[in-house]
Amino acid sequence: MKPSIYENSRDVFLDTVNAKDYIQLERVSTIYQSLKDSIEKPLKMVLLYGKPGTGKSMFLSKLHQNLTPSQKVCLYKTPILDENEFFKILAQDLYGISYEGELNFTQFIKVVENKELVGTTIPLILLDEAQLYSTPMMEKIRLLSDTRKVKFVIALHKTEKEDIIAKEHFQTRIWESIKLENASTSELKIYIQKKLMKANCIDTASMFTQKSINLVHKLTDGNYRDVNKLIYTLFDIYVFYANNNPNKINTSEISTKFIEMSAIHTGLIDA
Amino acid sequence: MLNINDLEARHKKYKIKSYAPYFVIFASTTIIVVSITSFILYNSKIEADIKEEQKQPVIVQKIEVVSATKEKNETLQEVEQKTVQEEAEPVTAKEDIKAEQKQEKVSLSPSLDFMGKMGSNNQVYYKKEPIGAAQELPKEITIDVKQEEKKQEEKIVPKKVEKAEEVTVNLDKKTPINIARKDEQEDISYVIKRFETNHNPALSLFIAKKYYQLGNYEQAYNYALMTNEINNNIEERWIIFTKSLVKMGKKEKAVETLKKYISHSSSSQAKQLLDEILSGKFK
Ligand SMILES: Nc1ncnc2c1ncn2[C@@H]1O[C@H](COP(=O)(O)OP(=O)(O)O)[C@@H](O)[C@H]1O
Ligand SMILES: [Mg+2]
Repeated sequence: MKPSIYENSRDVFLDTVNAKDYIQLERVSTIYQSLKDSIEKPLKMVLLYGKPGTGKSMFLSKLHQNLTPSQKVCLYKTPILDENEFFKILAQDLYGISYEGELNFTQFIKVVENKELVGTTIPLILLDEAQLYSTPMMEKIRLLSDTRKVKFVIALHKTEKEDIIAKEHFQTRIWESIKLENASTSELKIYIQKKLMKANCIDTASMFTQKSINLVHKLTDGNYRDVNKLIYTLFDIYVFYANNNPNKINTSEISTKFIEMSAIHTGLIDA
Repeated sequence: MLNINDLEARHKKYKIKSYAPYFVIFASTTIIVVSITSFILYNSKIEADIKEEQKQPVIVQKIEVVSATKEKNETLQEVEQKTVQEEAEPVTAKEDIKAEQKQEKVSLSPSLDFMGKMGSNNQVYYKKEPIGAAQELPKEITIDVKQEEKKQEEKIVPKKVEKAEEVTVNLDKKTPINIARKDEQEDISYVIKRFETNHNPALSLFIAKKYYQLGNYEQAYNYALMTNEINNNIEERWIIFTKSLVKMGKKEKAVETLKKYISHSSSSQAKQLLDEILSGKFK
């Protein structure tokens, strides 16, 4: 195989979040459905949580892309930490109103309360990396949802300990929480192969046997971000050998040794 | 960029390292198997030796009897042979006896060999007791030495003696403390069970406080958190929670959490704790 095939395969695993690269995974689809359901319920905010690299940002992007044609939906990938700024941007994006000078919470909530809904759909605000918002800010977001004139979907990541701490904010009944998890081995197989197929890398996709999938899963625990890093490096190694020592490459299956070398390079294996 | 040569080298090292445990396992199993077999062999030998030892007196007696009767018979035979040479029947009968005696002698002879062995084996066997005794002796000696030291110290530096006494007192107390801790641990698990059934925040707070007292700050943290999930407004829970955080070395997080709490509670206790944490008084 030509080096370029490995280069293309490698670039498939660049760690980017782009709705067009979204891979339909069964579990994610069911979660997606329940998320859409809860968006339709009144008075519910949705908390999307899970460890870093479980696909929260990807999920929000996909949701944003899918809903845009049918309703008002705004996605904020990074938190707007200044309160005044936050309300001004919301006013602009939701209602097309631009404010000169200050717009504080009391003023903004009045604006929201007085807005007539267009049709039955409530405008949706998607906030990524929401663990960075302060507690008072979260409280204000909750009050805004109480008006039933806007709805928030909030994505945040938590390590195991912070898992519980994050829940501090989310004790009120108006929250619905949805958890994203690492991939199982079968999901991982679908993820890797579909990703490669989408980029027309059919030859490299077929090199992933169950054995290599299992090893990748063992090394990454099915964390999508770690999987991306590992396989990116893996194909980088293939590119090197394809250019320098092609007879070292077995094109029928992924080399265990190369996977392990990638794991060493990315720090998944200590060596 | 990728440095393939370096990666290859590190991979080789990794492979060797990852096989190392198998070598260790292999080596240790061989050692274990070898030592177990030799232990069993050694034990069965000792058992055999013990059995032989038990048999020994009986054998000796028998042999004595046999040899005694043999001598008697021999003398009798001689006499009889001289006096009653013509009577064929008695002679054959006596020859039968003689034969029987000889047979007995033959069957017993191996035991005699064992007796020889027993001598040396017994020595090894009995050596064990003196070893045990010897082990006890040094203990007594060390105790004596300690007491002597104490006495010397008493004479020279009275203050030091106090310290020494403290140490011994602590040693004595060690076991009771452990028992108390175990009891408390059991108490906690009982309360945890109750908490799991009724989710009363008072119970989880109790558990958090207990764990904190016991120095198990992670559990204290967890239960303080659970308390919060149920009832956000218990002041004590925030205090225990932040204190546990500090104890776990997460001072920044503690300060952050406490500030959050103070911002919507105006708790004077929390403010005081915050001051103490910031000034390093509480750590
Ligand atoms: N369903 C999916 N389809 C395609 N790529 C995904 C999917 N889920 C996760 N990924 C990939 O995994 C990586 C990590 O996902 P991301 O959404 O950034 O995780 P998080 O926001 O939870 O930290 C991203 O590069 C993304 O491309
Ligand atoms: Mg993200």
